[in-house]
Amino acid sequence: MDFALSEDNLVLQQSARTFLEKEISLARVLVPGATVDDADYAGNWTKIAAMGWQGLVIEEAFGGLGLSCIDLAMILGEMGRTLAPSPFLGTLFGAWALQKGGTQEQKERILPQVADGAAKLALAVAESNGTTDSPGREAVARKQAGTHHLITGVRSFVIDAAVADWLVVAAVDEASGRRAFFLVDAKQEAVQADLLPWRDVTRQVCDVRFKNAVAEPLAVDDATLWPWLRDRILFALAAENAAGVQRVLEMTVDYAKERTAFGRPIGANQAIKHALADMLGLAECSTTAMLYAAWALSEDDGRASLAAAMAKAYSSDAYVSATHRSVQIFGAIGFTWEMKNHLYFKRARANAELFGNARAHRSRVMDMVEKKAA
Amino acid sequence: MDFELPGEDHPKRKGVRAWFEANPQPSGQDLAEAGYVVPHWPKPWGLGADPELQLIIDEEMKRAGVVPPRNPVAINNCAQSLLTHGTDAQRQRLLPPALSGEETWCMLFSEPAGGSDLGALRTVARRDGDHYIVKGHKIWTSLAHKANVGVLVARTQPDLPKHQGLSEFLIDMDSPGLTVRPIIDMSGDENEYNEVFFDEVRVPADRLLGKEGEGWALSMTQLQTERVALSKPGAIWGSGPSARELVEGLAEIGALSDGALRDEAGDIYIEGEILRLLAWRALSDRMNARTPGPEGAIRKMLAAPHGQRVVDLAKRAQGARGLIAGEQPFPSQLGGKGTFEDWDYAFWFSPAVTLGVGTQEILKNVVAERVLGLPREADPTVRVPWSETRGKAG
Repeated sequence: MDFALSEDNLVLQQSARTFLEKEISLARVLVPGATVDDADYAGNWTKIAAMGWQGLVIEEAFGGLGLSCIDLAMILGEMGRTLAPSPFLGTLFGAWALQKGGTQEQKERILPQVADGAAKLALAVAESNGTTDSPGREAVARKQAGTHHLITGVRSFVIDAAVADWLVVAAVDEASGRRAFFLVDAKQEAVQADLLPWRDVTRQVCDVRFKNAVAEPLAVDDATLWPWLRDRILFALAAENAAGVQRVLEMTVDYAKERTAFGRPIGANQAIKHALADMLGLAECSTTAMLYAAWALSEDDGRASLAAAMAKAYSSDAYVSATHRSVQIFGAIGFTWEMKNHLYFKRARANAELFGNARAHRSRVMDMVEKKAA
Repeated sequence: MDFELPGEDHPKRKGVRAWFEANPQPSGQDLAEAGYVVPHWPKPWGLGADPELQLIIDEEMKRAGVVPPRNPVAINNCAQSLLTHGTDAQRQRLLPPALSGEETWCMLFSEPAGGSDLGALRTVARRDGDHYIVKGHKIWTSLAHKANVGVLVARTQPDLPKHQGLSEFLIDMDSPGLTVRPIIDMSGDENEYNEVFFDEVRVPADRLLGKEGEGWALSMTQLQTERVALSKPGAIWGSGPSARELVEGLAEIGALSDGALRDEAGDIYIEGEILRLLAWRALSDRMNARTPGPEGAIRKMLAAPHGQRVVDLAKRAQGARGLIAGEQPFPSQLGGKGTFEDWDYAFWFSPAVTLGVGTQEILKNVVAERVLGLPREADPTVRVPWSETRGKAG
C-alpha cells in the first residue's frame, strides 16, 4: 500500500513539464480576436508527436509504449496544466476505442501509424444535445454488400475531428436498432468536419456530417466497448481538470503575493486567503480522486467506473469554481483577453459539459452505490 | 502507486486476530496491557506499531465487537507527552489508569480571553514552596464534569512574551478550590462542555509536566497529535455517521427518488469518499516514511463542513418531523442516545465542529499561510511581555 507516485511517474511528469513550458506558447491566442486557428495546433502536434506521447497507452505489439493510466495521468496533467493546443486528446480517445474495440486487422493497420505520429484520430459519439450514453438517431449506419456500412447523419462536439485522419464513429445500426462503433476514413468526401466557434480556443471541437460515408464496423459491441471507453474518457478529462485547478491556484497565489493594495499584498486579506485555501482544497481533492481513478483503471479494478465518475463529477465542479475565483482575485485585469485566466475558465466550462456534466455523473454514482447496496 | 489496503491475508493480521479470539471480552486493562490501546507508542505501553498495523488493530477490534477504552484526551492527545517530558513517577501513577479507561482526562486549555488565540490565556500558576497556586478560569472544557485528571496550561512567568511564560500541569480534578460548571449548549442535551474555575487551587510541584516555560510547545504538540483513526470518517470530528451511512439511510426511507436531494446526496457521497482517500494518503505517507504532505491540515479544513452537510441533509430529509426532539431519520440506524452516533443529536451538535479544535477561519488562515505561503496575520502582542499587553490586546 503506497498512495504516492513512483519515482518513474515523477520523472515522466517533470520531463513533460519542462518540455511543454519550453515548447508550447499561448501567446498567439492571447491576442484579442484570436480563434483556435491561432493556437498552432499543427506546429504543437509536430513537437508533441516527436515526444511519442500519442503512443503512451498503445500496446507494444502495435508500436506503442504500453504504459498505464497512471503514467498517462502525468502527461495529461501537464497538457491540461498548459492547455497545450493539439490533437492529443482526440487521438487518445480514438486510439483507446480502436485498441479495445477494433479487429486485429484494424489495429495492425492504424495503431502503428498513430504511435509513430503519422496518423491522428478522433472519436465521434455525441448527439446534438451532448448525450453520449443513449443510442440516439442522428447518425445511422446501413449495411452494404460485403463488410462495410454507409453512415449518414451528424455527430456533435467531436474533439479534434478537423485534423483527424481516421474517425471512430458511434452510429445506430439500422438492422439491429442498436448502437455500434465504426472506423471511418476522415479524408473521404462523404465526411465533413466543421469547426464550431467554440469558446475554448485552445481546443478544436467540431460537428461532423456524414453522407453515405464508408465505414468499417469494429469487432466489439457497444455494451462492451462503451463503458470501458467512457471510464477512460472521464478519467482523462478529470486529469486535465485536476491539473488545471492546481495551475490556476498557483497563478492566483503568485498574483496575490505580488499585487499590493493599501500598502500590503492583497493575499494578506483573509477574504483572499480563505478563497485560496478553499481552492487548495479543490485542487487536492481533484487530484486525489483522479489518481484513484487512474489506479483503478490501470488495475482493471471493479471500482474503476465509480472512481472515474466521481473524479469527473468532482473535478468538473472544482475547476469551474476555481477558475471563477481566479478571475475574481485577479480583479479586472483577470477579465481581459490578454490574461490566461479566461482560457482556463473556458476550458473548465467545456470539460464540465463534455461527456456528461457533474450532475449526470453524480446520478450515475448514486446508481452504482444503490446497486451495490441492493 | 497502489491504493490497496491491507488485505484479509496480511501477515500482521494473524497474530492480532488470534489475540482477540483468545480474549473474547477483554477489559480495558487487558487491552492496555496488550498494547492495543496505543499501539503506535513504544513498549511497554504500546507495540511500536507502524500505521499499517494500527489500521489492522482498529479493524480487528471492530471485527471482534470490542469497544476500546474511552479516554480520548489522554489516548489521542496528551498522554504521549509523558513519555518524552514526564517523570517516572508521573508515568507510573497516571498512565495505567489513563490507558485502561479507569480514569478520564480533560484538556484545560481555552479561556474566555484565549480560544483561537490560546497564547493570550490569563490563568496564572504562582510557585509557593513545593506547590503552585492556580487562579483563573477555563472554558469549553470537554469532559471536565467526568474527568479525574486535567491537563492544565497556565501562565508561570507573566513577564515573558505571551507564548513563552506558559507551563503545563497534570492536576487532580477533585482538588479543593476547583469548580466545574456545565455549559448547556444549543443541542439542549447533556453537556459536552464546561467552565472550570480555579480559586487558589494548590497543585503539587511534582505535577508540572516538563519544565516551566514548555507549556506552549507541549500544548501545540498535543493539539496536533492525531492517532491514525481511519476506519470511519464520521461527521463529528471523525465520530458519528459518515456519508456512506447517509446514503444508505436515504435509500432506506425512499428519499433518493427526489432528484434534487439525490444530486446533493451524490455530491456529499463523493466528497466523503475523497476525504477517505486523503486520510489513506496521510497513512500511506507515514507508512512509507515520507514527510506528510499538506493533506492533514487540508483534510481538517474540509472534514468539518463536510460533516455538517452529512447531518444537515439527513435532517432535511425528515421534513417537519425533524424538529421533534429525539426523532431519528433512519429507522435502522439508531445510535446510542446522546452520542454522536445519534443522527438527531449529531445534527443539533454540528454547528460546533467548525468552532472546536480551531475555528474554520483559523484553519483556513493556517492552510493559506503555512501551505500556500501567504502573508502571516500580524499579532502586535507576540513579542511584548504578557504583563504589559494584558487588558489591551488580550
